[in-house]
Amino acid sequence: MSNLLNVSSNPHARTEHDTLHEMYNVILALIPVTVFGVAHFGLHSLIIVVASILSAMVTEYVFDRITHRKNSLWDGSAVVTGLLLALVLPPTVPIFIPVVGSMFGILFVKCFFGGLGQNFMNPALAARAFLLISFGTLMTNYSVDGTSSATPLAVLKTGGSVNTTKMLLGFVDGHIGISIICLLIGGLFLLIKGTITWQIPICGVLSFAFFMGVLGGKGFDPQFLAAHICGGGLILGVFFMATDPVTSPISAWGQALYGIFVGALAAVFRVFGNMADSMTYAIIIANLLVPLIDLVIIPRPFGIGRNVQYLLDDDQNGRINIPKSALILMLIALLTGGALAGVNYLTAPTIAENQLAANLAAFEAVLPEAESFEYDDAVTAKVEEAAAASDYYADGAFGKVMINEVVAGKDASGETIGYALSVTTMEGFEGEITQSVGISADGTVQGIAFTVLAETAGMGMRVDEPDWKSQFAGKQVDQFTLLKSGGASSDEEIDSISGASTTSGAVVNAVNAALDFYHTNLA
Amino acid sequence: MGIYSFRGGVHPAGNKELTRDMALTPFLARQEMVYPLGQHIGKPAAPVVKKGDEVLAGQLIAQADGFVSANIYSACSGKVKAVDHHLSGAGIQTPCIIIDNDGQYTPAPGVGTACDYADLTGPQILDKIKWAGIVGLGGAGFPTHVKLAPKNPSAIQYFIANGAECEPGITCDDRLMVERPEEIIEGMKLILRLFPKANGVIAIEANKPEAIKIMKKAVSGDDRLSVLVLKVKYPQGSERNLVHAVTHKYMPSGSLPADLGCVVDNVTTISAIYRAVAFNEPLMEKGLTVTGDGVERPGNFKVRLGTSVQELLEHCGLKDGVKKIYLGGPMMGLALSDTGVPLVKTNNAITCMMTDPVEESERFGTNCIRCGRCTRVCPMGLLPQQMSEAAEKKNYERYVKFHGTDCIACGCCTYTCPAKRPLTQLFAQTKPAAMAWKREHEANKEGKA
Repeated sequence: MSNLLNVSSNPHARTEHDTLHEMYNVILALIPVTVFGVAHFGLHSLIIVVASILSAMVTEYVFDRITHRKNSLWDGSAVVTGLLLALVLPPTVPIFIPVVGSMFGILFVKCFFGGLGQNFMNPALAARAFLLISFGTLMTNYSVDGTSSATPLAVLKTGGSVNTTKMLLGFVDGHIGISIICLLIGGLFLLIKGTITWQIPICGVLSFAFFMGVLGGKGFDPQFLAAHICGGGLILGVFFMATDPVTSPISAWGQALYGIFVGALAAVFRVFGNMADSMTYAIIIANLLVPLIDLVIIPRPFGIGRNVQYLLDDDQNGRINIPKSALILMLIALLTGGALAGVNYLTAPTIAENQLAANLAAFEAVLPEAESFEYDDAVTAKVEEAAAASDYYADGAFGKVMINEVVAGKDASGETIGYALSVTTMEGFEGEITQSVGISADGTVQGIAFTVLAETAGMGMRVDEPDWKSQFAGKQVDQFTLLKSGGASSDEEIDSISGASTTSGAVVNAVNAALDFYHTNLA
Repeated sequence: MGIYSFRGGVHPAGNKELTRDMALTPFLARQEMVYPLGQHIGKPAAPVVKKGDEVLAGQLIAQADGFVSANIYSACSGKVKAVDHHLSGAGIQTPCIIIDNDGQYTPAPGVGTACDYADLTGPQILDKIKWAGIVGLGGAGFPTHVKLAPKNPSAIQYFIANGAECEPGITCDDRLMVERPEEIIEGMKLILRLFPKANGVIAIEANKPEAIKIMKKAVSGDDRLSVLVLKVKYPQGSERNLVHAVTHKYMPSGSLPADLGCVVDNVTTISAIYRAVAFNEPLMEKGLTVTGDGVERPGNFKVRLGTSVQELLEHCGLKDGVKKIYLGGPMMGLALSDTGVPLVKTNNAITCMMTDPVEESERFGTNCIRCGRCTRVCPMGLLPQQMSEAAEKKNYERYVKFHGTDCIACGCCTYTCPAKRPLTQLFAQTKPAAMAWKREHEANKEGKA
């Protein structure tokens, strides 16, 4: 023979399936939701997707070059990271956001820890967490084309209800990867291809639903649970992020347990956290538990512990404690969840008191003559009646406005001298604005004060300036009108802040809603 | 019984079409024959011939040395050229008896004469098997007379004939079942005399319809024999999977099939037992498949033991530029660095490939992406990914904790790995050291207690 023979250890056959195929499957699975997102949100979202992918690839390539590593671009993992990051970004963010995010994710989470397969948490989610912390306002602005509206989850958070069918299809505001149905198609494809296993998504969703039911305050109301499952990237998270093989457990039992953790954390964060987003942190925290899970959950090898008790009496090592350790870990998860639920139950009245205290300052500001504030059960019933009647106060006659609560202001002798109303509008330039409006017993507006205001600095934020707010004080009118051009001459007219008519208008509408409530129910 | 399957396993390309319809053809070598003294599990046999001795085909040339050992016979007639070291299939120099083949194949006296075995008792049959030097011909090479003599023969409920042949490319067991079903049936009847309470089960993978049909016909009317059809999946023919298929019991590592009331033998071994008992024939030849795209004329052969791989491949037309040759199939085969090695009792195929997927896969290898596919295909339910991490760090404690010593080296994890990591190789390297660590650890524990 002329040539030397190759010698290697068995096996001598290999599947054609390689790492690139694995990544390729994920990319294919994400195409429907990406296409939908781009079609739904417009060209800018396409630019975000492209920018995110390109900067992920460039970052990895440059790092490989600088550190003299084998070019690892072809394995496709950078594309997956870039694409996943783009899908969890709002469709309006400036281009530097995906670029900075991809660079952070690839460089700090992946490359610095040894590249492919070595990252300790999902790079796309780590990047998102980084962006959320660094550019909070941009990252939570889901308004498209200047017409702002609340994301379904923000609406849920403030107690409104949402259209689940629209959420399922994706015709709502949110991040680019919004269409649940497209995500499910992609997830099913990955399941069939064996790139992901059923344990993480199924256990994740079930555990989320369970903990949401226990902690969410609405019980196991299917409408409520469905809305929460469809919202806030839960499906994207459990099918595409939590299943990232590098940062999820290796054994089937471990994956089930990890799925339960992800779901439980997501539910806890969503209920108790102060922002609508819960998936990002749920998954990256669960990622950190993976090495522990992998060490503890060791499946029972073939033939150990079944039908063979008479054989292995001496083999204690063989009697695997997986079900035991898995049960213990699950028990811990359940106990923690139960404890949280218990704490929630016990502290709910206190929390309400705390809220009252926080609002108290605003109430005092808008009704300075009152000595004390008290809930009036009859009035609270009216508030709840109005909230139950439709999503927004008076069927949206004042825009997306909700009356949160109304307290009666009492003087030293206990006489009601007026009311303070807490009103939220979702139509601020950046979404929610919550304010208190004080109205005295004769129907005169005493003043307004903001409790939630996150408008554009130097523009919308100027509504908080005393000069502007004072326009409302001392006026006894049925309704206010906004003059965009300025030059208000009558009591009814309010000058708009120049360049911030959206914010000004939202505030005026909210005050009008408060007046309307007053005239209808309190006068 | 429905079609049996098991958890895990892979579906490599079968590649059995190449030789499936090729009858077993006798191949008589002309060149020198080589007999390694250690070609079975246990102690190597002790030579009973010396340089210059004339030998006949079927003459004892090395005698079993101890209980777990096996006789070795010359499969040709000629003169002993040397008792010396020679290259074996494992790629090492090992003590061998080398015989100058005269090409006449003159049989030794009495070999091949039909015997009346109707009245043979169990012990007599065992003696005959021991005399013939029969070992597990499926590849294990464990002396059959030891395996067939468990402590309590009446506790054996099943005698399983392994005709699964799950390795891709190999068809010689298939051909044997198609061509000589009576040898297997008669052999099984002989073995069942050793186990009064046992039933015989012939386990065949579903991809051999002809063999299944013929064997089913052959067992009809015999209430102690039956055929069990297995799902096509590698490694279906592994002993532990077979025992589970028949008894639905899980056989733990470190136990023997006999512990679960089973004895498993390859169909080729059973046929050899029959020929030894019925024709006074010691183990001299066996079926062997030559396959792969590296040979012009693949086929199934009745090969005399001791034949040089080189000579058989020349007969089959080895192509120029062949990349890789291995003894056995692609999953568990042993790669050869040199074809000047003899065929021994445990070989069942020679596969010649023009391409080497292992070499190609190296280019596509990446870091482990922890996809978990290895875990899903491991027929032993292990975590190859975690085992490999422990093995790379030589952390034997952790390797044992992850049950790495249960690995059967079937190759499923390596086959399926998208990152193309050489897992099986790593485990093969690590297992002996891990076993040693485990023994020492247990001894320490006992010492303390």
